[in-house]
Order: sequence, then C-alpha cells, then structure tokens
Amino acid sequence: MLRKNIDIVDDKAQVKSRVAVLNTSEKRSDQWTLLLVAVGADRDRQAFAQLFSHFAPLLKSFAQASRHEGWFPGLSEDLVQEVMIKVWQKAAGYNPEKASATTWIYTVARNCRIDMLRRKSNTQHLPLENEDFWHEPDEETPVSLLRQKRTEDKVQDSLAQLPREQDQILRKVYLEGKSHAEASEELGLPLGTVKSRVRLALQKMQILVAPEYQDELSHE
Amino acid sequence: MSKHLSHHPDKEMLVEFSAGTLATAPSICVSAHLHFCQQCRSELLSLDQIGSQLMTEAEPAEIDDNLFNRVMDKIDQAEATEQQPSEPSTDPRVAGFPLSVSKLIKNKFHTPIWKRLSASVDVARFKTGQKDFEVALHRICAGGKTPKHDHHGLEYTVVLRGSFSDESAVYKEGDFLIRQPGDVHQPMGAQNGECICLSALEAPIRLTNPLGFLMKPLLRINPM
Repeated sequence: MLRKNIDIVDDKAQVKSRVAVLNTSEKRSDQWTLLLVAVGADRDRQAFAQLFSHFAPLLKSFAQASRHEGWFPGLSEDLVQEVMIKVWQKAAGYNPEKASATTWIYTVARNCRIDMLRRKSNTQHLPLENEDFWHEPDEETPVSLLRQKRTEDKVQDSLAQLPREQDQILRKVYLEGKSHAEASEELGLPLGTVKSRVRLALQKMQILVAPEYQDELSHE
Repeated sequence: MSKHLSHHPDKEMLVEFSAGTLATAPSICVSAHLHFCQQCRSELLSLDQIGSQLMTEAEPAEIDDNLFNRVMDKIDQAEATEQQPSEPSTDPRVAGFPLSVSKLIKNKFHTPIWKRLSASVDVARFKTGQKDFEVALHRICAGGKTPKHDHHGLEYTVVLRGSFSDESAVYKEGDFLIRQPGDVHQPMGAQNGECICLSALEAPIRLTNPLGFLMKPLLRINPM
C-alpha cells in the first residue's frame, strides 16, 4: 500500500474506508484522525502537510508556554520540528481506537519537550526516552470509543467552565510544565491547596475514575 | 495483568505524570505501575485529554514559511538511513517487566549488579543520572525478613514480581507504595517465592535495629 501524494481532500471517502477496515465496529471520523491514519498507512505527504499546517502553530504555542527551568524561546521551533518528524515516523503505530489524533500528538509533544529538557540537564545517563514511560501493553478490554468520546466531550465542555483558580493550576501544570510544588511556591499557596484544586477540577470533569470501575468502587 | 490492584499512585501524581512534570525517578515508578494497572492507564488516557484540550485551545503561534520544508528534508534524510527496529528480546531477567525497567536493566553502559544487602535482601542500583534519587531493584528471598528501617526521605516502591507484606498489608505485582519520611517498616517476602521491587529513594534510610549500624554504609543513598 505504498502510495504517495494522495490528495486527501478529494479522496476522503477512500481514507474513511481504510479507517473502517482498521476498525470495523466503531470509528473516529474527525479530520485530523483521518489525516494521521493516511500518513501512517500510505506515507501520504499531502495529508501530512495538512496536519502540519494545523498542528505546527499549536505546537509552537505549546512550546512557548513552557516555563521549565532551562527552557528558552529558541527551543520552540526545535520542538515543533522534532514533534512533527516523530509524528511522521510514528504515524504507522498510531491506533485511532486508543486516542484521537489530537491527544496522540499532544502526548508526542509532551514527551519530546521532556526529552529535550533532559538532554540539556545532567541526566545523560538515562537510557530512556520519555515515551518509554508511556509504553502500554495492548489492552485486553480497551476503553470503548464511545466512552472515550464521552470523556473527550466532558473535558472539552467542563474545562471552559472551571473556576478560574482551578483552570489556572491546570494550565500551569500542563502548559507551563510546573510541578504542584512549583505552582504552590509561585502562587504563594500551600501545596495542599494546589492539590485540592487539581482534585476538585478532576471531580468537576468527572474523569477521576474510569466509568467501568465506578460500580466496583461503590461496593467497597 | 491484574486490573484489581489495591495500591495506586494518587490522582495528583497521575496528573503530574500526564503533564510530564513529575520528576524522573518517581515517573519510572509510575510507569512501572501503569504496566500492571489498567484502571490507572485508563485514567491517564482521560488526563492526557486535559493537556490535549489546553494545547488546542491556545492561540496558534506564527510559523516560519520554510519550516515545513526543513521538516520534510530531515524526514527524507532520516529515511535514507533508516534502521530496522531491533526485535523485542526475550531476556528472562526482564520477563513481564515494564519497558522502562527492562531498558534500565539492559542498559549496555551500565548493567546493574546484584549486591547483598542483608541475609535476605539484594539490591541492584540503576544508573539514571538522577542526583536526588537512587533508583534500584530490591530482591527479597522467599520468606525473607528485611532489616527494620525508617526513611529520611520519600520512597516509592512498585512490586514487579512476587509479593511481600509488612505490618499493614500484602503488596502484589504492580502495587504502588509511598513511604513517607519517618515511616518505620519491616517488609517480609512472601513464602512462595522471591519478590522483586523497583524503588526510588529520595534520601538515605536509617536502620533502627540495634545492630543496624553495621548495615548503614550499604544502605547509603548512592545516586548514579
């Protein structure tokens, strides 16, 4: 199936059918996921170009948000490059049943950002890349797509409605890359307060415990 | 892979792991736990969506016109020298272990070597480049008692093989524990086989056994 330069815009139906082959029961059909699947299956350069024009500006913005010790603005473009190269190289291993393309690309970016920082600090002995930490065995009972989508919707809707103080902490942690301890120092708040704001935010988003375990826990 | 583990990292720690802000040594332990724990894996997937959502909501930054071509050039260069990924090994030392731990064990620049710590406990220290933590494997022989000790700093432990118990509970494969500074405990290996644990130790531990001082130099934190 090594075809190059398929015009993804004119050929969405074909891509969709390819996704359907990969995933017969349920499928993701958002355009980024379709494009990423096309890159993985066919090394489709035009699909990649479209992913690039959507994600590169977001990735650069993500890189610029970093307040990690040792991070400087010049690294932002390096991160965009590194992430997009990884997206190309790893696209074949992307499984749309496990995550949306956007979430998958976020995890690649997060891992690259940490690896870049680690290479710069005194941890050259570490024979690990950050993605090794996220290596997951294939699930015997993967979270169904329906459930994943429900969580995605919940996160999307509820994130916008979080009280400012909870939203602020999540942004510090996820975008700036601050640990809870660093956030507490910076905001002049006790660590316990930072942690409880995180926990409250998770409760509000209802993603604390995966739905399939809620019954189990309520019997304890 | 049991999905009914009773000892998990707390949610705030999973958030830090998901955001990539957790320090390296505890991250290795969380990743080891995830290998065994489907519940935490599934929660992590949800937590990653917070980062993903925040990333996509951000104001897009300006991108240099040439960046795409530079990326494609690098991709083409890399593909010209592409190497085949090596086959996953079936090294019995790491059978059933999480990938991060397997890679640490098979590190060709620093193979960890088992050293006797007491009559029933061996330790193998990893070279992780961490200044504040010692990351190591501990092996407790079947029914073995470890010296009673307390902690100056935090200690994260994940059971990788077998099980052990202490005064309060039995810990099985995949269970994740945190010992706070000042906690005194005396783990005991299960009777039915040896137990191997991964640990990340923040500071030296202090033996409280009357003869413990003899052991002290061996238990000194030894970051590599």
